Amino acid sequence: MKGTQLGEFEELVLLIVGVLHPEAYGLNIREEIIKQSNRKVAIGAVHSALSRLQEKGFLKSDLAEATHERGGRRKRLFSITAEGKRALKRNQELRNSLFNQIPEIALKGMNFSGI
Amino acid sequence: MASEKLYQPPKWPERLLRIVCKDDLLEEIEGDLFEHYQDLRTRNSRLAAAFSYWFHAFNFLRPFALKKIGQNSTQLIMYKSYFKFAIRGMWRQKASTAFNLIGLVLAFTVSGLIYLHINQELSYDKFHERAEDIYRVAWMNENPQTRTPHPIAQAMVADIPEVETAVTLSPIYGPGLTKVTIPITLEKSNITFEEPDGFFADSTFFDVFDVKFIEGNPETALQTVNGVVLSQSMAERYFLGEEAVGNRLSFGPSTDMLEVVGVVEDFPLESHFHFNFLISYMTLKSMRFNDAWLSWDDFGHFNYVKLSAGSSAQNVESKIPEFAIKYLNWPEEDLESLRQGEVKFALQPITDIHLKSNIRWELEANSSITYLIIYGVSGLFILLISVINFVNLSTARSAQRLKEVGVKKTLGARKGQLLTQFVFETIMISYAALILALFSIRGLEAKFNHLVSGNIDTDLILTTQSLGFLITITTLTAILAAAYPSIYLNALKPGDILKGAGGKKIGGARVRMALLGIQFVAAIIMISGSLIISDQISFIKNKDLGFSADNLVMIDIDNWEDRSEIIKNRLRQIAGVKEASTISNPPGGQFNQHSLYAEADPTRSIDALEIFVDKEALAVLDIELKEGRFLDIGLAADSAGTSFVMNETAIKELGLLSGVGENIVWNFNEKLIKGQIVGVVKDFHYQSLHTPIRPLIMMIRPQSYNKILVKLDNVDFTSSVSELESAFAEIYPELKFKYAFLDQEIDEMYQEESRTLLLTTLLSGISIFLSIAGLIGIVLIAIKQRVKEIGIRKVLGASIGEILMLVNTRFILVGLVSTMIAVPITFSLMQNWMGNFTYQNGISPSIFVFTTIGLLVLIFVTNSLIAIKTTRSNPSLALRNE
Repeated sequence: MKGTQLGEFEELVLLIVGVLHPEAYGLNIREEIIKQSNRKVAIGAVHSALSRLQEKGFLKSDLAEATHERGGRRKRLFSITAEGKRALKRNQELRNSLFNQIPEIALKGMNFSGI
Repeated sequence: MASEKLYQPPKWPERLLRIVCKDDLLEEIEGDLFEHYQDLRTRNSRLAAAFSYWFHAFNFLRPFALKKIGQNSTQLIMYKSYFKFAIRGMWRQKASTAFNLIGLVLAFTVSGLIYLHINQELSYDKFHERAEDIYRVAWMNENPQTRTPHPIAQAMVADIPEVETAVTLSPIYGPGLTKVTIPITLEKSNITFEEPDGFFADSTFFDVFDVKFIEGNPETALQTVNGVVLSQSMAERYFLGEEAVGNRLSFGPSTDMLEVVGVVEDFPLESHFHFNFLISYMTLKSMRFNDAWLSWDDFGHFNYVKLSAGSSAQNVESKIPEFAIKYLNWPEEDLESLRQGEVKFALQPITDIHLKSNIRWELEANSSITYLIIYGVSGLFILLISVINFVNLSTARSAQRLKEVGVKKTLGARKGQLLTQFVFETIMISYAALILALFSIRGLEAKFNHLVSGNIDTDLILTTQSLGFLITITTLTAILAAAYPSIYLNALKPGDILKGAGGKKIGGARVRMALLGIQFVAAIIMISGSLIISDQISFIKNKDLGFSADNLVMIDIDNWEDRSEIIKNRLRQIAGVKEASTISNPPGGQFNQHSLYAEADPTRSIDALEIFVDKEALAVLDIELKEGRFLDIGLAADSAGTSFVMNETAIKELGLLSGVGENIVWNFNEKLIKGQIVGVVKDFHYQSLHTPIRPLIMMIRPQSYNKILVKLDNVDFTSSVSELESAFAEIYPELKFKYAFLDQEIDEMYQEESRTLLLTTLLSGISIFLSIAGLIGIVLIAIKQRVKEIGIRKVLGASIGEILMLVNTRFILVGLVSTMIAVPITFSLMQNWMGNFTYQNGISPSIFVFTTIGLLVLIFVTNSLIAIKTTRSNPSLALRNE
């Protein structure tokens, strides 16, 4: 049942994993999110999202070599699965299609009120 | 990069994560945090980095990262099973569980309440920021008193460098130095209240004491004539929240005399005195009505000094004699005794006054440390008895779990685990008891306050300090109760247990007996102690005081303008009034004193307390006249106040053989009044029995009368009192009718004793209840173990009497040994307490005999009742097994 839906923050993380490919892991994903979207997120929040995405089958992960700057600990590198790619596509299409269905007048109205 | 030095992040978050996080996630979590920390440290301070590290670490405490609770955590499974075992065990033995709970709840409640009470009593006067530097200057002679001369305060500041500031204050006294209430009126809104607790005070009051100003300026308050500072609660009564400063108040009949210059917060309850209003000393000085009163000769003022921080009071005290001699205009021999330290000005630490000072003219009734000790010891004993019960019962119960322990040990349980399990169970019970006790402490707040006339606030039980105290005793109780059984059970070999060899007997009988002995000792001390207290108090209450306070109504008057004969005549017309008398100080109150000497021997000067009386006082108070006659206003010398009646003690101390006819010189406020002794009365206890009878002088002086004593027939008091009121209103229309019953006032002097009696009786009742219950528990175990023995003895022909003897001997022995330990302890403790009384009943040995016999009978009856059930049963039932 679960695994079909992609939350907003999950989508963001998933996209960032793609952007950082093949070097995506917890900490640099967080940094990229902060840099690109200007959102303050805790490391824990990113890990939480990553673990959910993995459970849903949108991500897969492998352990890399241990490095000195992590105090001899290995990092877990994430990459998008085919399932993940499809989910991203689906989300994008849905958004585009919905956006295109918005009547011209509504957007204009928004513009008016925006000005 | 590899050679670069790495920063070490704080250890604790990592430890925490290791405990709670899933193992497979741990490495990447730690890695990310570590790397993040390196980055932070290169840019930020260590503190900021650590803070952020902590923040992020805590942020990992989310469901996804936490270990799954359930099947996979052995730790948790273990605790779950402990919990299950504990609940099942408690459920199976409802009686013993309920008893354990009740005992512990009782003990925790009692000790919690007593703890709060003691804490409060110890906190008196500590609200001043530099309380430890504030001292009261008291006068220590054979009849010590709180009051000293007014000039000493500022002279000490000037002459003794350690004295930083000082203040003099003086409560507003009525004639005969009784505390009075003053009608204070706010004319513009026509509000009048009778205000007690008014003081004259120096402007330095606020330098010595910590007082928070709500209105007005501490720098200038009390520096003007007629300036008055009100307590917040009094200001509220008159001004109802409006600004008070600048308004004028009428002081008695003096319209608009006082000008409000400040409003300050009331002193907290934990202060040895409280004031409603403070009038500047300047006001007194401007009146100049009584210069002698402000001189070095008048020991009539309360003086407080504040020493510079850290200076030694002893040091200052030792400087006082030399310093005071410069000012005191005394005969050389008196100065010499001051130099010698026979009499002295003492510095009483203000924080000690409430518990340790009980000398003449205390501003409010103080408490006594002796009673706190009695309460504290009783509380501890109850706690001890209850904890021992808990230990004994847990031991007993552990015997029924030998098989469980055997199986656990066979399956590989370690010693530590067994201990953990037992502690877990006792902690469950004791914490349940603690929680119940917290509720019952709350619920008993009002009752307890009423009982000890205290004012504890049980909300304070939730402060860290009090909770810390309760949690400590609870945890200790649990550990003690668990330690013994688990050590004992651990020592058994699992094989033996399961074979059934080791498990027949519950060991530790000696330990249990010793614990039982301790309980007995505590119980005996409490029971005999409270019997001794009750003996002494009934002794005091029944002691012949030498006068009668029965059916005496006491009405307040102000007789500056003499109306005493008129009111007495009017009162006599009322049916039910036997006689009426006007006097200055009723028995049981406070008395002023002056020195006097017999003209025959001027060197032998004594201090005598004084009462101004009238002719009827003798009959109304039912005092016995020993020699001569009593006073009569109809005689010229008597009405002039130069005829004296004295008590036997005074005559003795003056060294006179028969007093009547002797001329006496009485030093009344610097005036030497010569008069003659016309009568001698038998000694009567006009002061409380805490103090010995002192020399007393009585004479006629109508303007000093401030009480009417009305002797009523023993009929309906209520209707008499209402008639008294209307008669009073005719003669003294300007005064409010305030009355009291003298016998009640006198009883109030022993309030502390009565209260202690009530409390110790209650506490010893609890201790008896708990010890009996503990005894029953132990006897049950003992008998259970001897069922077979008893069976065999019966088969071999032992009689019931013999068996009872056998069962009882050991317990009776323990009872006897406990008595032998407890009696000397009680004796010395109570001897100490008796020292508070001048008139002591002594400790009667019969109390100890009574307590011992009572205890032994109790042991015997408990034991026998339980044993008889076993002895009556068919021995074959006990022997059939195996």
